[in-house]
Amino acid sequence: MAKILELNSVFAGYNNEVILKNVSLKVYDDDFIGIIGPNGGGKTTLLNVILGLIKPLKGSVAFFNDIKSGENNKIGYLPQRNKIDSKFPISVTDVVLSGNLFGTSCIGRYSKQQKIKTSETLNRLGIIDLKNETIGELSGGQIQKVLLARALVSNPRLLILDEPNTFVDNQFEGELYEILKQLNNEMAIIIVSHDIGTISSYIKTIACVNRTLHYHQSNKITEEQLNTYNCPIKLITHGEVPHTVLKKHSH
Amino acid sequence: MIAELLEYKFIVNSILAGILASVSCGIIGTYIVTRRMVFLSGGITHASFGGIGIGYYLGFNPIIAAAIFGVFSALGIEFVSKRTNLREDSAIGIIWSLGMAVGIMFVFLTPGYAPNLMSYLFGSILTVSKLDIVLMTILCSILLVVFIVFFRVILLVAYDQEFARTHNIAVDVINYLLIGLVALTIVLNIKIVGIILVISLLTIPQAIANLFTKQFRYIIMLSILIGLIGSFLGLIVSYQINIPSGASIIFSLVMIFLIAKLIQLIKRNVILRNQKNEMF
Repeated sequence: MAKILELNSVFAGYNNEVILKNVSLKVYDDDFIGIIGPNGGGKTTLLNVILGLIKPLKGSVAFFNDIKSGENNKIGYLPQRNKIDSKFPISVTDVVLSGNLFGTSCIGRYSKQQKIKTSETLNRLGIIDLKNETIGELSGGQIQKVLLARALVSNPRLLILDEPNTFVDNQFEGELYEILKQLNNEMAIIIVSHDIGTISSYIKTIACVNRTLHYHQSNKITEEQLNTYNCPIKLITHGEVPHTVLKKHSH
Repeated sequence: MIAELLEYKFIVNSILAGILASVSCGIIGTYIVTRRMVFLSGGITHASFGGIGIGYYLGFNPIIAAAIFGVFSALGIEFVSKRTNLREDSAIGIIWSLGMAVGIMFVFLTPGYAPNLMSYLFGSILTVSKLDIVLMTILCSILLVVFIVFFRVILLVAYDQEFARTHNIAVDVINYLLIGLVALTIVLNIKIVGIILVISLLTIPQAIANLFTKQFRYIIMLSILIGLIGSFLGLIVSYQINIPSGASIIFSLVMIFLIAKLIQLIKRNVILRNQKNEMF
């Protein structure tokens, strides 16, 4: 079991505000980590540090088997859907192909191999029929699958998903978790979720993020433990209805 | 009639200008519309009036002065909105009116009457100079090269900047390069339809193209074609009834839009009716 990534006493934030304080985390090849925590607690900031979108103010982020050494990106990233323009005129195939672009290798056209890999990935996720559709014509769940295909097409070692279960129906959510379970045989997965109930049976470990990080070596967590972790996530609301995290949760 | 018209140099120039305007606005307009930068482009358009004013005052070619002024305004807006706490739309609002104010001040400070000022406000495709044609040809060549060579990465950055950053792509370089090209395209097309109307040359062809295709590359190609039809129709109308060409080009484009919309509605009704017939 090889180490992929290590964060060592990381402090991070934006402008003058420090959001994450003294966060350490190790990620290994077969990990399936669920990141939970209250809104504004720093979940997205943590992802941004791991993805290299922001530099830590203090502390270090180390990748083992340097991601820059490979011919392609070794982190697959599925962003939050509301960050992307859903009316942008781009086809499903073009979106997934773009997952192959890396660094300065972006002049010219896609290779035949990349096109084959794109078809394979679409096939695997059961959306090959959508390959010529434009993004604007897809449902929420379909868009998520396309974005997942884009994250997977470069064969990453680590897959990072930022709240993939918001704005999608329950059927898609179930399908997604089954796909992730399979993918976990090939790569490490980090998933950010506001809804720990549904993901808890799929993930292996939990990271509670609220300014600091508490790593929980199990996929079962109680409210008392959450409280001792200073992670009051039962205060999160789902739309207008207050939403409580339960020990066992069935949808 | 056509052979007779081509003997006039200004007619040939204006046809060339129409072609070059269609190509440059087809490419850049698609980028602007899909990235939802129409307001930003309006800001750059009006800010460049500052350059025109300064050009008049210093006895410098107003279009070249406007190009310099426009590019710096564009880079300024991009920089200020990304690096400071000022909101992007506020930054646009400030630079928009600042440019206009500077332009008005310098036009008034210029001794005597400012000739051709109206042609910058409302455009005049019939008076484009040889220099204008040369500048527009250079611009179109740059645009074609950049959009062919970097098409994949431009599309990715336009669609999802953050994802592009996670793939180590130089997103900032692409953004600055393209905003510079947006500014140059706007300024060089001011001569064709004028400051007040240039934004429509960058948005109406795309809106029409978008009725028929939903893919970036095809929107570019179709917009160029629609731009060509619109500018020639506009030129002919302008020549026939002696009205400013900028207005007649835009009016032709809007007419094409309405006709396209009508065709689309009829097509949809036919499809619906066929589906109903199949059901029964």
